[in-house]
Amino acid sequence: MSELESRLLKTGGERLALLGKHSEALMQAYTRDEVPLESLSDSALRKMLAARILWRPDEQSGVKLSPKVRELIAEMLADETRRHVNADVAETLELIRALVHSYREARSRGEHWRLEQQLMRLRQEVDDLNGRFADAIDSLWQRLNSDFGFVSQLNDKIRENDRAQKQIARLLDGLALINFDELIELVGSDGSLRKLLISQLQQQLSHHYTGLREVQRRLIELMARFRKQQARSRLISGMAAFMREHPGFVPGNYARRSEVPALINQAAPLSAAAAPALDRNLECQVLADLLHQLPQPRHTTQTVEAAAPAQAQENSLAAARQQALKQDVEHFYLSVIDQPQAEPVSALEYLHESPLEWPDEIWLFQVIAEYQGLPRNDQRAFRLKQQESQASAFNHLRLIHDVELQLAV
Amino acid sequence: MIEHGPLLERLLAGEFVCPVSDESGYRHLSNAETREEIDTYLRPLNRRLASNEEGSVYFLAWRQLNDSARDQLSRQLGDTLNSLLPLLEWLQLVQEALGRDTLAAPGDVLKPAEFSAKCEDNQSLRERLERLATDSFFGSQSDQLDAQVKQVFKRLKEHGYLLQPHSERQVFVVTGKIDYLVDLVRFIRDEENLPIDAEGEEGKQEALL
Repeated sequence: MSELESRLLKTGGERLALLGKHSEALMQAYTRDEVPLESLSDSALRKMLAARILWRPDEQSGVKLSPKVRELIAEMLADETRRHVNADVAETLELIRALVHSYREARSRGEHWRLEQQLMRLRQEVDDLNGRFADAIDSLWQRLNSDFGFVSQLNDKIRENDRAQKQIARLLDGLALINFDELIELVGSDGSLRKLLISQLQQQLSHHYTGLREVQRRLIELMARFRKQQARSRLISGMAAFMREHPGFVPGNYARRSEVPALINQAAPLSAAAAPALDRNLECQVLADLLHQLPQPRHTTQTVEAAAPAQAQENSLAAARQQALKQDVEHFYLSVIDQPQAEPVSALEYLHESPLEWPDEIWLFQVIAEYQGLPRNDQRAFRLKQQESQASAFNHLRLIHDVELQLAV
Repeated sequence: MIEHGPLLERLLAGEFVCPVSDESGYRHLSNAETREEIDTYLRPLNRRLASNEEGSVYFLAWRQLNDSARDQLSRQLGDTLNSLLPLLEWLQLVQEALGRDTLAAPGDVLKPAEFSAKCEDNQSLRERLERLATDSFFGSQSDQLDAQVKQVFKRLKEHGYLLQPHSERQVFVVTGKIDYLVDLVRFIRDEENLPIDAEGEEGKQEALL
């Protein structure tokens, strides 16, 4: 390793380290305009000025980030507001030409070490050129894919899009500067140069060219969309303003024209109704299933007496007693049915033998009422015998003392 | 044709079919063959499939314009014109309240809560909303901001300009019917030669492609 090279490595390393050591101050300078000097020592400031990380435009102004460092930061952050697109092709071409000449001289003089050096620098220059195009295209895609999200206003987006399109035009101009006929002549018959500057570069550049064209197409599309949005917005606000100013505005009745405009022609809604039909056997089953699946309608019993609560209570009590009486009488009928020989059963005897506590008269009344309330067919199944006597010799009023019920077999 | 049953029903019911309101239906309609099939089916109903110029939204049009169809169209046009100003003002209000520089477009998501919050903080927006909500088109009876916003969104949903993907969530999506509305406004402007900034830029860029 030569002395020069080792010195370069040392100084470069030290200066790169400055970036890390003072990263906070540098980032503050990136977001503001100037470097906050209070956070930097004198020697640090001197070192960074010497490394051209910072610079002072003139005596009066403050210390600022150098453009290259600002660009580096923007690149690292993919900060699209500040990222520069700069593929200075003409300059690079000049350099490549000079390097090729120097390379040839070295070869003709047999200076092997210099030959290697020149080839390496050529390789670096070509890589740089590629990198610049790739970066520029990447930056353009980033802006495109975010819909220029780094600016909020539509007008700004339109301006940014315009700027991006101009950058593409410059990049394409730059690509056009590279003349492969000239390069072929320049390279001559040297194999490694030919590979580097012709086949490799050509392939890479055609790749960039396709990329740029694609971004350009998409940018134009996006611009059209922006313009359309802008036009929509203006149209709506314009029409709203017009209608507010002219409250009586009535446009023509387009529906009465001989040629009704397509936009106005909107048919009346029609509902495609259907009802269950029972004219197909197969479907009847389905409908029946559906019917069964319907939830049971719940009819809650409505008390008509709701309006008179005090009486309702009494009435419902009476109804409950009536119901109990009716049930007991039904049990009596059932016991008659259960009589082994279909023997007659006296209603009063049944009552007195049972734990029931109904007054005799009410009991007899209900037994007779139950009999009369039976459907005719059921009535025939029983025989009701009343034990009665005439109340007096002077009238035909008859008193019932008891009834006997018997199955009519 | 049977697989297009639900789509046909929506169309017949007078709905506008766009990628937001019915994605699969819209995809089917993008196929010229399907459109023809549907048109054939609609023939006896005196209807045909129609779309706006861009083809971003489909709806049904009368096939033959007889007198009753013309009557219906006149009435409909009258209704649309009556609701036009409130709709345009709503579009402007949304744009301003949400700090956007573009109009609400199909697919945009709108949240009534966000909208209310913005209006609450700003007296002028608040007043404009109040005026809008109590307009007969939106018909809010309430003097509460939230209720007014709710009513406005409800009406826009009823009219097919907004879609509410989940009935329990207060999130709405703008449908393609907005495109139709904008087309209609542009049509009226051009037909009536209204002195509204035409902004001739539109189309200039597209011509470059």
